Amino acid sequence: MLGSLLLAFIVAPLLGLVSAQPIGSLRRVAAMADVRDAIGLSLGCAFAAALLAGVFGTPLAYLLARARFPGRDFVAAIVDLPLAVPHTVAGIALLYVFGRRGFIGGPAGRWFGLRFWGTAAGIVAAMLFVAAPYAVNAARLGFEAIDPRLERVARTLGAGPWRVLWRITLPLARRSIATGLTLTFARAISEFAAVAMLAYYPMTAPVQIYEMFLRYGLSDAAAAAVLLLAVSLGLFVLFRRLAGAGDRIGPVR
Amino acid sequence: MTLAAAVERASLQLGAFALRDLDLALTCGEILVLLGPNGAGKSVCLEMIAGFHRPQRGRILIAGKDATRLPPERRGIGLVVQDFGLFPHLTVAGNVAFSRPGGEIAALLRQVGIGHLADRRPASLSAGEKQRTALARALAIRPALFLFDEPFSVLDARSRAGLRDELKSFLRHAGIAAIFVTHDPEDAWVLADRVAVIRDGAIIQAGAADAVFRKPANRWIAEFVGVETIVPGRIAGRAGNACRIAIGTASLLSTNAVGGGDGTVLVCVRAEEVELRRAGDDRTGEGLPGRVIAIANLGAWGRVTVDCGFALTALLTHRNIRDLRLAPGSAIVASIDPEAVHLLPLA
Repeated sequence: MLGSLLLAFIVAPLLGLVSAQPIGSLRRVAAMADVRDAIGLSLGCAFAAALLAGVFGTPLAYLLARARFPGRDFVAAIVDLPLAVPHTVAGIALLYVFGRRGFIGGPAGRWFGLRFWGTAAGIVAAMLFVAAPYAVNAARLGFEAIDPRLERVARTLGAGPWRVLWRITLPLARRSIATGLTLTFARAISEFAAVAMLAYYPMTAPVQIYEMFLRYGLSDAAAAAVLLLAVSLGLFVLFRRLAGAGDRIGPVR
Repeated sequence: MTLAAAVERASLQLGAFALRDLDLALTCGEILVLLGPNGAGKSVCLEMIAGFHRPQRGRILIAGKDATRLPPERRGIGLVVQDFGLFPHLTVAGNVAFSRPGGEIAALLRQVGIGHLADRRPASLSAGEKQRTALARALAIRPALFLFDEPFSVLDARSRAGLRDELKSFLRHAGIAAIFVTHDPEDAWVLADRVAVIRDGAIIQAGAADAVFRKPANRWIAEFVGVETIVPGRIAGRAGNACRIAIGTASLLSTNAVGGGDGTVLVCVRAEEVELRRAGDDRTGEGLPGRVIAIANLGAWGRVTVDCGFALTALLTHRNIRDLRLAPGSAIVASIDPEAVHLLPLA
């Protein structure tokens, strides 16, 4: 009962937003090149951020779940930090590090020609900062749920540590990892403040919607918002299905 | 008798916990039960033998070779853990084929009688089917030694008993040495050729199962292996090859010797060794007269506590209790084979 109230609270504003859009304005906004570019950029960057979170976050999650080392709780707290920092603050902090004179942004620009301020790389960096905790925490829970005795048995059956990781640990944690990456992806798409501060241009979808709101008013911005909502919800559902399916199509022999 | 495996004076420090000077040796086909309470170091010991901890001192020999520095995957050990540790994302066949992908596993499955389960997932198996799958999976590497880490600890008493019997006959057939870790004396009683009692990281008694259960080396072991009657007494004299023990005003015979001391002893009697008769039916005159204090129902058995000048516990069948018309207050005579009266120095 209480749960359904909360569900209604989540669904009602979104439904209101969607139902208020005439199909004509949706079609018009969907035909606008900058809106399509913005949504494409959002999806691409969010995908890259989720990929990086998976590649670097999964080993960290395994370490946090299995290894016993001094300062483990401290490391876990650091992972959670982006969840507690207001995203405007995150944006400012990222500017200091990834800006043209930042201690990463500076050398990266000089030596590799990689600039973050006002580039897609900056967008990915901002997205990664705010969304990576979801990937690490979900994967960590997945690893913690695996009985370490299974890994030990696999070792005695002739498998080295890497083979155990590939054949036992990762397949058993796959669902949690996939869920974490889906959440990371969703969180990355929805990020506005940190992205806008580090890389207002090129415009991601949330920034584009904000810009349309300022320039053309509510109705065009709302139509673009519904478009973004539809695309990201569709992908979200698709990813969840894929993550769930992993349970059944796992390696059999 | 060829040696299947041995641990020689192995010591291991693991945080605050330590295994001290561990010595174990198994001949081929022998079942050794490592018996001890929780936290005694049984599992750590097993993990050390399997190669997950390296001893700071001492050696581990498996199939005649020094395995102290080998990683677990090269030790040739079949490990079976609590609840059997099947890989939940693989089928029965996938589990058994884990060590030999593409290998011929149908014969292995048939050998343990689970050929029809090849495509099932572990979650859908009964405890017995899980045990057979785990055994087949371990057999696939042709292990020189089986290690069992409390595989039954999450099972109910009835399935435990069934699986224990099945496991014993499997190991007898396979002729592979095994170390079985448990905190349950009954597991040890049923499975073991030899028992090693471990406490606080050290083995405090090792020997034939029968010896450990009937002749525990100290009071703590006696209590742990379920000796019900443990009372202080005094050696009062000799009678042939036996000695006469006085317990308060009562007296009984023991053919067991006890070293040193001033004649004071702890008298240990297992409840199943005590025979009860109605008072007046005592033919030998050597019995202990007394009265029944309480009768407790233990399911198949009844535990009868009698007062013979000291509290003595007997284990009888219900049939026995009915035939003797026992009830609290009944006058009885208890008799114990002098061989079954075990003595410990009272120190």
